Amino acid sequence: MSSPMIELENVTKIYGQGDKRVVALADVSLKIQKGEIFGIIGLSGAGKSTLIRCINKLEEPQAGTIRLAGQEITKLKGKELRAARRKIGMIFQHFNLLSSRTVYGNIAFPLEIAGVKPKEREERVNSLMELVGLSEKRNAYPAELSGGQKQRVGIARALANNPEVLLCDEATSALDPETTKSILRLLQDVNRRFGLTIVLITHQMEVIKEICDTVAVIEEGRIVEQGPVVDLFARPRSVAARRFMKGVLHTEIPPEIQERILSASAADRRGKTVRISFIGEVAARPIISSMIRQYHVEANILYANLDFIKNNPFGSLIVEITGADADVEAALNYLHIQGLQTEVLTNCGA
Amino acid sequence: MWSLILNATLETVYMVGVALVLSALFGIPLGILLVITGPRHIKPMPLLHRILSVIINVGRSLPFIILLVAIIPFTRWLVGTSIGTTGAIVPLTVSAIPFMARVVESALLEIDWGVIEAAQAMGATTGQIITKVMIPEAVPGLVLGVTMVAVSLISYSAMAGAVGGGGLGDLAIRYGYQRFRGDIMFITVLVLVVMVQGLQSFGGWLAARLNHR
Repeated sequence: MSSPMIELENVTKIYGQGDKRVVALADVSLKIQKGEIFGIIGLSGAGKSTLIRCINKLEEPQAGTIRLAGQEITKLKGKELRAARRKIGMIFQHFNLLSSRTVYGNIAFPLEIAGVKPKEREERVNSLMELVGLSEKRNAYPAELSGGQKQRVGIARALANNPEVLLCDEATSALDPETTKSILRLLQDVNRRFGLTIVLITHQMEVIKEICDTVAVIEEGRIVEQGPVVDLFARPRSVAARRFMKGVLHTEIPPEIQERILSASAADRRGKTVRISFIGEVAARPIISSMIRQYHVEANILYANLDFIKNNPFGSLIVEITGADADVEAALNYLHIQGLQTEVLTNCGA
Repeated sequence: MWSLILNATLETVYMVGVALVLSALFGIPLGILLVITGPRHIKPMPLLHRILSVIINVGRSLPFIILLVAIIPFTRWLVGTSIGTTGAIVPLTVSAIPFMARVVESALLEIDWGVIEAAQAMGATTGQIITKVMIPEAVPGLVLGVTMVAVSLISYSAMAGAVGGGGLGDLAIRYGYQRFRGDIMFITVLVLVVMVQGLQSFGGWLAARLNHR
């Protein structure tokens, strides 16, 4: 694999001193590949905002290094830092548009700063307004725009100098669900069209589920889990990740079923209650029924749910598999070989 | 009588106008410097910030009537006289500069910090942030602030009149008070009220027009 677009190594950031000392980031290491959409999820105060702001050095960590496209951001100063920042677009929760400038003026702003000539600037702004669908709002001031339109201006402005990376600081947190979807679609569109690497932080699992390829879960300044989004959904390892998932996917067992599982230990059946997760094309094959036919077990589906993660079908089942111990083991092994994620919740009748 | 009033009004306009322009010339950059050198702003310089702040506070704490006489030697050295309208412009300007600086400071601190940070994230230089972000974003607040300084310059100029500075204050004291000309006193007051009202309304209107928030 080629070297990552962004690489954080043992980044530590501490605010304040003495008793008021707050560790915002503790020894954080991350690798973000070129062209991917990388999500960082955490509660407010978990350190995600500090983390993303370290990438363009709006915050300076006390320890660790951050490299972006091979350049060590943490070492840059003055002119070099400004030049590097022009290649990093950023959008914000509260948009941060200049209220004194129109849509046109706001998108032209980063080009003026970079010293782009007026004629070239105008062409670029026009094409950016078209890209985000705001050509008709050219002379409107931010105060006259809706939240979604403001964020579109923010995105156009961030893309003006053809950045390699786009940082999204809670970009959809101030928007309603419908507008959030349309902004996410726009981000996905620019990601595909320009091969732009996107780093976004959020507290909304929906955002991760909708567009991210890779995710990192941050809690109290530490990355507690990271990997492909589908893996996180199939098998969340950290408590934090499970908590975030609760509202989005019904991976937590409903209370009625939980009760049944608990009471099952007193029953006369022998077997296991298993959570099975599957993703992608596996969902199309009749694995459960062939398991029942091949091994002498019975399967009782207690709970099933199907969802989509970035357009991939993602299912989770809670199944009670009963039969002789060896048969149950063999059946579980079979599921595993078929590429399903399994997790034994309880043993019953043991 | 009317020519006296017209003459005095023009003198007041002249004193206030020149003092306002000069105090803006020095006070606005001073206010900007005060803001950007502050803690957690774009160019933190704690020592300079403290020094500026102390100087401005000293200037603000002197009552105008005392400043007026205290700096007479400086005024003489600078413009050759300490009386008349020209002599009054110096203390008026000196007292308005720190006021202007504080007014500019509060207008600039009103700006949403996120906007400045966005400009930093885009790679803007300190100069670009000042000229392209801070000043344009603060324009409505700056207009109101300058209006406030202008209004207080009018009242200060009347005080300067009391010590021979010319203008409407001078007229009111010499004729209205010392010669018992109630009519002149009345008209002088009326002109001052109209001036302040007009200035304040204009400032308010202009600030609203320039505000796109």
